[in-house]
Amino acid sequence: MNVEISDLARRFGRTWAVDGVSLQAGAGVFGLLGPNGAGKTSLLRVMATVIPPSSGTLRLLGRDPRGYGPRREIRRRVGYLPQNLGYYPGFTVAEFVEYFALLKDVPPRQVPRAVAAAVEQVGLGDKARSRLRTLSGGMLRRAGIAQAIVNQPELLLLDEPTAGLDPEQRVAFRAMLRDLGERSTVIVSTHLVEDVGAACGEVALMDAGRIVFRGTPDELIARGEGTGAAGDAPLERGYSAVLAAARSAAAVRS
Amino acid sequence: MTAATDAPARYRTQRARGGVPLTAARLLRIELRRSTMPLILPVIAALFWFDSYRFGTGTPPFWVLRTFWNMGQGRSFMDFAPFVAGVAAWTGSRDGRRRTADLVTGAVWPRWAAQLAAWAATAIWAVGAYLAFVGVMFAVYAYQGLLGSPPWWWVAVGVAVVTAFCAAGFAVGALFPSRFAAPAAAFGAFLLAIVSLQNGFGDTSGWPLILPGNANGNYQPVSGIFYPYLPDLPIARVMFLAGIAVAVLGLLGLPGRAGGARLRAAAAMITLAGVAAAGTASVLVRTARLTPHGMVIPALHDAASDRPIGYAPVCDQAAGVPVCLNPAYRRYLPEVTADLRPVLAEVAGLPGAPTRAAQVAGRYMSGMFEDQNGVAVTISGHPPVLRLPLDEFNTLPSATPGSAEQFDQEMLLLPVHAFVVRGNGGGTPAQQAVQAALWQQAGIPFAAQPDVLTIFGLPAWAGPALQGLVGNSQSTNGPGPPHGPVYAAARRFAALPAAARHAWLAAHLAALRAGRTTLAQLP
Repeated sequence: MNVEISDLARRFGRTWAVDGVSLQAGAGVFGLLGPNGAGKTSLLRVMATVIPPSSGTLRLLGRDPRGYGPRREIRRRVGYLPQNLGYYPGFTVAEFVEYFALLKDVPPRQVPRAVAAAVEQVGLGDKARSRLRTLSGGMLRRAGIAQAIVNQPELLLLDEPTAGLDPEQRVAFRAMLRDLGERSTVIVSTHLVEDVGAACGEVALMDAGRIVFRGTPDELIARGEGTGAAGDAPLERGYSAVLAAARSAAAVRS
Repeated sequence: MTAATDAPARYRTQRARGGVPLTAARLLRIELRRSTMPLILPVIAALFWFDSYRFGTGTPPFWVLRTFWNMGQGRSFMDFAPFVAGVAAWTGSRDGRRRTADLVTGAVWPRWAAQLAAWAATAIWAVGAYLAFVGVMFAVYAYQGLLGSPPWWWVAVGVAVVTAFCAAGFAVGALFPSRFAAPAAAFGAFLLAIVSLQNGFGDTSGWPLILPGNANGNYQPVSGIFYPYLPDLPIARVMFLAGIAVAVLGLLGLPGRAGGARLRAAAAMITLAGVAAAGTASVLVRTARLTPHGMVIPALHDAASDRPIGYAPVCDQAAGVPVCLNPAYRRYLPEVTADLRPVLAEVAGLPGAPTRAAQVAGRYMSGMFEDQNGVAVTISGHPPVLRLPLDEFNTLPSATPGSAEQFDQEMLLLPVHAFVVRGNGGGTPAQQAVQAALWQQAGIPFAAQPDVLTIFGLPAWAGPALQGLVGNSQSTNGPGPPHGPVYAAARRFAALPAAARHAWLAAHLAALRAGRTTLAQLP
């Protein structure tokens, strides 16, 4: 398993953003669904080794990120696209991707080729020399994806990757996700259930820091059938039904 | 699903040796290309021209004088400091402002390394610009034919100042990332520069000597001409400023997000080393003492620096007397010779009259050029030599209006006093009368003498005693030629035929110098 999480929690002050999550994932595209504040971003930041967990165990790519050496090895093999992508407006697309390729320890002689490949893969080949400040929101998102995949990661963590992409770009992006999932573990956090349906082989639904559902997209659809849950699409109805059930169970417990 | 946990990272398999320096070089290249610093350089260039270069242009053409105004007083660094600190803070706050901290923190290379690359690019631009601006200024000075030699140690101090302000500004931005970090750092640097500059005019010893804007003891006018620029104080300042730079850059490696435990331990050691260097330098300057040719710090001092610079004097003749100057003063030789000619002609053949006039190095009690105890022109030795410390003169002929006239007057006043009174006192009334008569004969009319004796920077003997003398005649009787018993005697003496005057002096000079002659005894 590339991702092995057991009873993981992360607290910010008095708020438990992630509260006892256990999860395993191997190669393939794994969707992480949930409402705002469910803890998806915090979970991805922990998996990206940006912040440490408050408790619980975490093994990524067979290594424990608490040790400095293993953490470096994990980071060398991980790609991460944050929800709020930061960027340096004065950099060109190629420089931005090259900058993070270098920080990810891609061998310097291979950097130019890796950068060109990543930029091409996200469809920004003709914008490689454009300054980031001149790009649209969707193009910036793609530049962010390019920096995430430039090291050919074995574990790719994407937080809201399709936000700002137009429909055509989203279709292309889902195809790219499926391709990446052939050889890597891709964990995609999203609000957009159609992305999950189109690209993910497995999905988890988070609410209030916990995973309240884990299964395939078809199983999620099945949860919504006959419940009268809100939603235009089958996946949305499954999503709503699971959330409603989880919240009523939590209310009963409390 | 299968895991690939033991597989090497896809790009790790072909990692070449020497990858770390190459990666660092590529990071630096990107940062250099996209640094904000070049955008501010035109502003600094304009300020440097206005404040540093232009300010020293009116001084006589010596390296030591021109550069004292822009480097010895710290102006050239201070033109850079606020801007460099501000831009460095802007760069340092970049990850916080641009929300890239997560991306940088989650990378393989420590965040500290990424920060150091960004700082290094900023510092390279700033230091490069400083060296370029100073280089252009020095090239202009060389083209103008400045005399003496350039103060290279102060260029090193400037590099250290720019580097330290760059590091401090960057640290402010990195530790307090917001859009206000840059203006706050720039304003803070400006305040520091002002404080440093102000202390330069007040403190002549103790810890303020470590401040780069402190001008006391930085330069002596003999530096680069008679003696080398003493490197003691610059070494201490470079040590202090480099220590600060290292310490604040080390601080950036201490937070948990900067990197692993070992790296943070190394950062702590670096911080301590920087603090130790800065602290040691601060302690060392407390032991500094001012010598006639610069500030000496015993622990840093090399006796070789005390050796005078050898030179072959350039000479001319005035009334048959050789007049020799340091070759750095070659352009003043005709003027000095012409000025001395009437004085030397007047005293030629008299007992104790100089057989040679030679320039000597001045002696200074303070690093401030203006704060002198007076110009010590003396006649001494066997045969007697008129010793002229021209660097002590308050002014040398230059583009400054009136400077040539003032120089000419000083060149007449001082040798006559050295010949008649011999010492730092105002002299007896008889000595003052003979002195006034000789000045009249040499070219300073009696009527002009009250004004000439008030020239700023004259020795103490020209102060209370003589100004009291001429003051009586002016303040009591209003403007006009000075009179009173001394000037009455002086007029009588000056009215004598040259041969009679000469004969009287030949007979009575010893008694006159000894103070045994009275006004009534003057012919």
